[in-house]
Amino acid sequence: MERKPLYSVLASLATSICIVILFYVLALQKLGSNPEAYIPVDMYAGMVYVFVLSMIVSASIWPGIIEKIMKR
Amino acid sequence: MEDVIIKIKGMMCAHCEKTVSQAALSVRGVTKARADFNKGELKASFDTSATDLETIKKAIAASGYEVMDEGEACPLPVKKLKPEIKEVHKGTGMNKASFKITGMTCASCAANIEKALNKKDGVKNASVNFSFEKASVEYDSGIVSQSELEEVIISLGYGVAKSEIVLKIGGMHCASCALNIETALRKENGIVSATVSFPLEQARIMYDPELIPVQDMIKIVKSVGYTASEKLEKFEADREQRAREAEIKTQRLNLIIAVTLAIPISLGDMGRNLGWAFVPGFLMNDYLLFILATIVMLFPGRQFFEGTYKGLRHGVTDMNLLIATGTGAAYIISVAATFLDLGAAYRHTYYDTAALLIMFIVLGRYLEALTKGRTSEAIRKLMGLAAKTARIVVDGEEKEIPVEDVKVNDIVVVRPGEKIPVDGGVIEGLTAVDESMITGESIPVEKTVGAELIGATMNKTGMIKFRATKVGADTALAQIIKLVEDAQTKKAPIQKLADIVAGHFILAVHVLALLTFFFWFFIGFEYFDVPVTFGMGTMSPFLFSLLISITVLIISCPCAVGLATPIAIMVGTGKGAENGILIKGGEVLEKAQKLDTVVFDKTGTLTKGEPELTDVIAVKGTENEVLRLAAIAEKGSEHPLGEAILKGAKARGLDVPDAQEFRAIPGRGVEVKYSGRKVMIGTRKLMIENGMDIVPLNGKLELLEYEGKTAMLVSCDNEITGIVAVADTLKVGSKEAVDQLHTMGFSVAMITGDNRRTADAVAKQAGIDKVLSEVLPEEKASEIKKLQIEGRKVAMVGDGINDAPALMQSDVGIAIGSGTDVAIESAQIVLIKNDVNDVAKAIRLSKLTLGKIKQNLFWAFFYNSVGIPIAMGILYPFTNPPYLINPALAAAAMAASSVTVTMNTLLMKRIKLKR
Repeated sequence: MERKPLYSVLASLATSICIVILFYVLALQKLGSNPEAYIPVDMYAGMVYVFVLSMIVSASIWPGIIEKIMKR
Repeated sequence: MEDVIIKIKGMMCAHCEKTVSQAALSVRGVTKARADFNKGELKASFDTSATDLETIKKAIAASGYEVMDEGEACPLPVKKLKPEIKEVHKGTGMNKASFKITGMTCASCAANIEKALNKKDGVKNASVNFSFEKASVEYDSGIVSQSELEEVIISLGYGVAKSEIVLKIGGMHCASCALNIETALRKENGIVSATVSFPLEQARIMYDPELIPVQDMIKIVKSVGYTASEKLEKFEADREQRAREAEIKTQRLNLIIAVTLAIPISLGDMGRNLGWAFVPGFLMNDYLLFILATIVMLFPGRQFFEGTYKGLRHGVTDMNLLIATGTGAAYIISVAATFLDLGAAYRHTYYDTAALLIMFIVLGRYLEALTKGRTSEAIRKLMGLAAKTARIVVDGEEKEIPVEDVKVNDIVVVRPGEKIPVDGGVIEGLTAVDESMITGESIPVEKTVGAELIGATMNKTGMIKFRATKVGADTALAQIIKLVEDAQTKKAPIQKLADIVAGHFILAVHVLALLTFFFWFFIGFEYFDVPVTFGMGTMSPFLFSLLISITVLIISCPCAVGLATPIAIMVGTGKGAENGILIKGGEVLEKAQKLDTVVFDKTGTLTKGEPELTDVIAVKGTENEVLRLAAIAEKGSEHPLGEAILKGAKARGLDVPDAQEFRAIPGRGVEVKYSGRKVMIGTRKLMIENGMDIVPLNGKLELLEYEGKTAMLVSCDNEITGIVAVADTLKVGSKEAVDQLHTMGFSVAMITGDNRRTADAVAKQAGIDKVLSEVLPEEKASEIKKLQIEGRKVAMVGDGINDAPALMQSDVGIAIGSGTDVAIESAQIVLIKNDVNDVAKAIRLSKLTLGKIKQNLFWAFFYNSVGIPIAMGILYPFTNPPYLINPALAAAAMAASSVTVTMNTLLMKRIKLKR
């Protein structure tokens, strides 16, 4: 149980990075298909915002899941 | 002397314990008696030369409880049991503590604290009320201490308000003396702060009562060479008031800063974006806007970031996070646009968005702080009722002392216009007392020797002396305050839904904000051709999606959902307390909605509880002559019927001289000699045995008996002179109360141990539908159960003494009484006034409060379920020009939603609980 916070942070980081990668991949396609509307700044700024939001979401979800797993 | 343990069936609460103990103690020779309802037994010590076990058992049985048979109730030497009992208590130490919490900003904060406390080892149950800013914790003191519980709250980023006391200090000569005392006090564990004022000669100390008692603080001051005594009051009510005022002051200052800066920022930012010519050029300067917006973020906005940081450090999220994410994103993107060249689409700055968001949210918090104070007004009013000082008689001289120093049995003097400081009984004087502040009854009540006084009521006309019977936390006022506070902390079942929603709200909103951002960035921006349809020219998809996402974060309001129930319970129970109706928590409110049957106890509830002279019929002479003879005969009697006749005669102004040779004839009546004549009063049998013919009077006797009255024949020298009848009459207002309940659609029943004829007569007078007569006290609960088995939802109304089991069995137990601890324990609703009309009022108040809860929940859910989709841009495809909520407008709507819920609840205060 002592390592719960560490596992939670690692799981949250992993989840957020996955979501950011998803955003990055999709954003790259947009940049390629519509370069007039989408510029790299949009993609990078979006990645930061998506990371912040997904960290908040995953940091709220993971501790409960990890606690349940560790209790088993 | 012999010690015994008697096994008893039927004890259900502390009240039963008291009744059984008193029944045993009423037997001459019993020196000690202590009942325990958990164990179902009574431990008693008695003098074997004065009484025996059987007599004690009979006394207990007569009090309405079943004594188990010989095999089960064997006399046991208590001494042998003592070590076992001690061991049982050794490991367990369940305690209750309540903490005044500071720093909560929304219902999620309350849920977070509650969750953390409940997780702590040794905590059985923790409940946090956001509106009341109070945590109630039931914990095992053997496992966890109060200070550890405090640490849990503090570690989450909230504060625990400490107790504060002012000590009167003597012997100070200069400011250094004050400093010395401060230093000595501050060294002590448990003292948070100490400020000593030399000119005022007082020390204001903030302390933890769990760690250091007041007496120890006085000792510390004395140890450094000064004198100290407790001064005037313990600032319970003032403390809350000050905390609230400080919050209002802080938010007002934040609001002033936010408004002052948000106006030029908005003018500058919008003026540049929309090309407003009237805006001075310097206001459009990015660097000036940056400086102004930074001030807004650093001062009024800091609270949201601090709150978010504290919460995240402990893995909890609250309202602050939503605001911090929204305003932070708008600010950061504006700063980036100011200092970096991000391209044509990033020329816009959103300092106005960040500033306006903070301005509106701070406005909401300021209004909330203002209105929240009004919701707990009732409890503050109750606290403020307590007298500060009392004048007691010491060695024949009057001495004014702080009310906390009054002890039981002190003789207290109260002059006209003064408050009665504590509860007690009048020993000298006659006065009228205004008890409206406690009972809600506006007419002053006359008090003479022997009458009971309630502390905090107002002495109106005469000077009285009384003996203090209850002081400190035992007074009726202290009990009422405790009851109302407890009720306001308890949650209604309906709140569970709100709690579940509020608990997951922040997470759900962030998920929605993320999905919204993805949708508008990847799909919506291109699909709806935003740069063209929205008419903004060069527009970044990121900025567009970000603004919508921020709006979703900002418009969501878990506060309204979290506030809906507790705030209504607080106002409802407070309103009840003001009207002499004490409702024990939210669960009762819900149960009261489903009631369809109200069962009244007869004696003492519907009726006055003591017989009263009702009829005098003269056969020979006048009515007054018959009554006078009857009163003369009964003068020596202590029988309640005799007392009623004597009282009736005195009420008619008749002179009742003493008689000689008083003789009570068991089961028959009384015989006396008066002026050489034999006067008798009693039953038919008494007269027949003395050779009198009662046949001509049989008709009249039967008629009186049919009406539920006890008729007695009066004779003089073996000649019947007349009939007197007494009865336990209906209280004023009983019929009206029953009528009201009928009008409200309730079926009304009466339960009594009286015979069928008497019960029917009273029921007929009161207009009651159903009569449950000849019911023994222990059978009352099973009669209620029978009604419940029939599918009825039953409220039992009783005086809370012999009706305790029935009150507990019923769906809603309503005790009528003067707020005694017995009544308070047994019932879920306590009517302080001895007025049955308050039953309908209590039910009406319950309905009103639950109605308000439902309204609040509806508006809170409605607001969020409409506001969030609009913020997500659901109207964009269907409106022309496309409609999107501005983030600043979303902030204003969010602030308005929780204020609306509070204001809607406060409307309840204006409604009168009409009869």
